[in-house]
Amino acid sequence: MPSVEFPYISINIPPSDPFPSGQVTQRPLAAAAIWVPGAGRGMRCVVCLDSGADSCVFPALFATALGIDLLTLKRNVTGGVGSSGNVTYYTDLEISLGSGIQFKSNVGFTAALDAQGMGLLGQTGFFEFYNVTFLQKQRKFVIETT
Amino acid sequence: MASATIDLSALLRDLPEGAWVAISEQAHKVVAYSADLQTAINLSKERGESDPLIVRVPERAGMLFL
Repeated sequence: MPSVEFPYISINIPPSDPFPSGQVTQRPLAAAAIWVPGAGRGMRCVVCLDSGADSCVFPALFATALGIDLLTLKRNVTGGVGSSGNVTYYTDLEISLGSGIQFKSNVGFTAALDAQGMGLLGQTGFFEFYNVTFLQKQRKFVIETT
Repeated sequence: MASATIDLSALLRDLPEGAWVAISEQAHKVVAYSADLQTAINLSKERGESDPLIVRVPERAGMLFL
């Protein structure tokens, strides 16, 4: 099966009471290009392959950079760990991770992700299209391309 | 492997918390940063990087449970 390998990205976590030496965590991050289908404006950002997310979501601030008026979009309320009642606005986006991995997804934009500054690729809109194997021991994850 | 392996921790280490950062993936360097996303993008374009990778410096670096 054709596939593309991506490296896990190491993130240094500063010391804290339970982890006085700090931590190094491994995240399944990738660089992505995102754009509105048929429109000229796009941007590149970091996405996290988040199998615990129900769907794909991006920071609300990205919408402005993409020329999207959130107030014209349909919306609902979403929640995550430590947050609830997040108003989330939906539209179609084209997303490319490179190496032939490109798909159109109905994604949400929420201010709850502005502090993280990255998108989440979730079950609906990403994992429904691609089989992904997480191989953290080998510091890589693999996306089947067909 | 796909995707440039960028050492995000190293690139973002000395930047202000909460800053939006425009990164040149080819040069593996920070091109611009700002407290405002659009300003970071505009500064990057002015400096010749028209399609930067946009990331944000965490306001409180810690474990994430998304």
